[in-house]
Amino acid sequence: MVTESHVRFDDVQVSYGSKVALQDISVEIPRNRIFGIIGPANSGKTTFLKCINRTIDFVPAAKVRGEVSVDGKNVFRIRNVYNLRRRIGMVFPLPVGLPLSVYDNVAYAPRRAGLRDRTQLDELVEKCLRQAVLWDEVKDRLDQLGTKLSGGQQQRLTLARALSHRPEILCLDEFSIAIDPVTTMKIEDVLLELKNEMTIVLVTNLVQQAHRLADHTAFFNASRLVEVGETEQIFSDPKDKLTGAYVTGGFG
Amino acid sequence: MKSKAEFDDGGLRYFVLARRGTSNGSHATEGLRTLEEALIEVGQRAGATSENGEANSPIEIMCDRADTDIRLRGRPRYDFFVDAGASDAGGEGTELQPYQGFHSAVEGLVRRHREGRLPLDRGQHLRLSPRGVFAPSQLERRKKIRETIAKYVFMSMAIALVLPVIAILGYLVIKAWPVLTPAFLLENPQNRMTAGGIWAPLVGTFFLVAISLAAAAPVGVLAGVYLNEYARDNWLTRLINLAVVNLAGVPSIVHALFGVGAFVLFAGMGRSLLAASCTLGVMTLPVIITSTREALASVPMSFREACWNMGATRWQTIRTIVLPNSVSGILTGVILQVSRAAGETAPILFTGAVFYVPVADHGWEAFLPYGLGDRCMALSMHLFTLATQVRGVSEEIQYGTAVVLIGLVLAVNSVSIGIRSYLRSRKKW
Repeated sequence: MVTESHVRFDDVQVSYGSKVALQDISVEIPRNRIFGIIGPANSGKTTFLKCINRTIDFVPAAKVRGEVSVDGKNVFRIRNVYNLRRRIGMVFPLPVGLPLSVYDNVAYAPRRAGLRDRTQLDELVEKCLRQAVLWDEVKDRLDQLGTKLSGGQQQRLTLARALSHRPEILCLDEFSIAIDPVTTMKIEDVLLELKNEMTIVLVTNLVQQAHRLADHTAFFNASRLVEVGETEQIFSDPKDKLTGAYVTGGFG
Repeated sequence: MKSKAEFDDGGLRYFVLARRGTSNGSHATEGLRTLEEALIEVGQRAGATSENGEANSPIEIMCDRADTDIRLRGRPRYDFFVDAGASDAGGEGTELQPYQGFHSAVEGLVRRHREGRLPLDRGQHLRLSPRGVFAPSQLERRKKIRETIAKYVFMSMAIALVLPVIAILGYLVIKAWPVLTPAFLLENPQNRMTAGGIWAPLVGTFFLVAISLAAAAPVGVLAGVYLNEYARDNWLTRLINLAVVNLAGVPSIVHALFGVGAFVLFAGMGRSLLAASCTLGVMTLPVIITSTREALASVPMSFREACWNMGATRWQTIRTIVLPNSVSGILTGVILQVSRAAGETAPILFTGAVFYVPVADHGWEAFLPYGLGDRCMALSMHLFTLATQVRGVSEEIQYGTAVVLIGLVLAVNSVSIGIRSYLRSRKKW
């Protein structure tokens, strides 16, 4: 691996009370690549993402040990956590349209960051909505409430919002569960383009999606990182038996 | 073990009754000697009645001695169901899986009888009910009855709740009708309160409520925001919560004594409008805090998390998402405290309200008749005075005062209901 690592986990352990959610995680996520994470339910994938932008802080009783660093800085030592989160886009599986208009939903983060100029905002909103493949559906009703959109549209709205503050790292957690396959493919194309601008961490239940998109893939199981490597190697020549079973569909 | 067929000969007969209570169906009045014969008879009869379109009445087989009066007594020993319209074989005779057609019903029952699983003693009977495709089962019928009972019980309680309100209002308005004129509201009490209006106490109550809310609402709302949005779950927060809950449960007369100690004496306000308002404010504070917290908590957590994920600070999130969507609940909580503050007598009794003080009731001075340091009259206390402390006050004036007080409370409450329903109609998720 020649590319510089963007996010680094160093012996990270996370527990919620007595339940251990992540154990002995050490991994490097290279810059400007798509990093796929696969694994069965309850294997710690979402917790992994929450460590990167420190939203783990909002989970009561969550205890973190070890070091997560972004650009070489330990995120748990960062004073201005809002600045960290502005640099990271996050899409969680449950679509959340804020109770604002579609436009305001996407313009929310830029405005909080101080962008007031209307034409710049307009451009940015259109660009983000286009990247989330939502523009054509909502361009005539930007003043409609985001919460009134359909589930799949809200999920793409969430994606547009995550892109709106031009993050350096984009974390996607099951972004496509409510989106039809055709639109998903379009978004996947966008993600491949976005790779030039940002590092993408993609948690997915669709093993094939990881295969299609990811440069590197990590397989999580039972709160441990079982195997990580180049996607081609993970899918064609997995070192671990479990990984092989999972990617070929013979798991369990 | 003796077979059922032999046992059937003990003088018992089986009677097929086509319809409960009527005898025209049982043409075989002498009865049949075995249950099996009776079952076959049922099959034939059912075939005949279904052509006559009478297939929907239950058929019963009664077991009794031949010489007694044949009458159905009590509940059937067995209850079987048959889907009269079906022609497939099968079914188990239960409500959920009825026999498919009379033919399979007779077949199934005869088989059951031969296996000895259908003993029928003297005085007992067996019922075979046809069951339409969408006909409600017995369970469904019971469910429906219970549903109806529940509905009317709850409805009667709701009506029982409303009736006293209407009765009280009607009684008060009728009693007070002669004095209810604009002049009654706009004149000071005169002639040792036996004449004139209620201007002074009305204005007094208005000022008391306004000042107490002006003091309590900002403190309460901001404290509620802190407790719900910022405070972590630690011992300090728990202590504050405990204090708020306990403060809400303190009787108003205790608040009055606290007001005397804290505002009248310690803060040196003396017995004044300001001291009375502050006492009322302290009394309303816990409820404002609680209702604010509830209104904030009704905004889904996922909205906050979405904002935090984009790097918005807590305050930005509160200002842009949480407050705009909880303002209706907060306002409702505050407005409801208006009626509480207006109605309380005890907290102002020792802190600023007085028996009688006339104020300007005309001219520009009427808009600001009290100063903060003045003692004032109040509607609730005025009503108490009229009713118990002064002689010769006509009933109309007493009832008129009560009507104004209760009207004030109702008006404020309807404003709050109006605000709430307006904002709820614009609810955004």
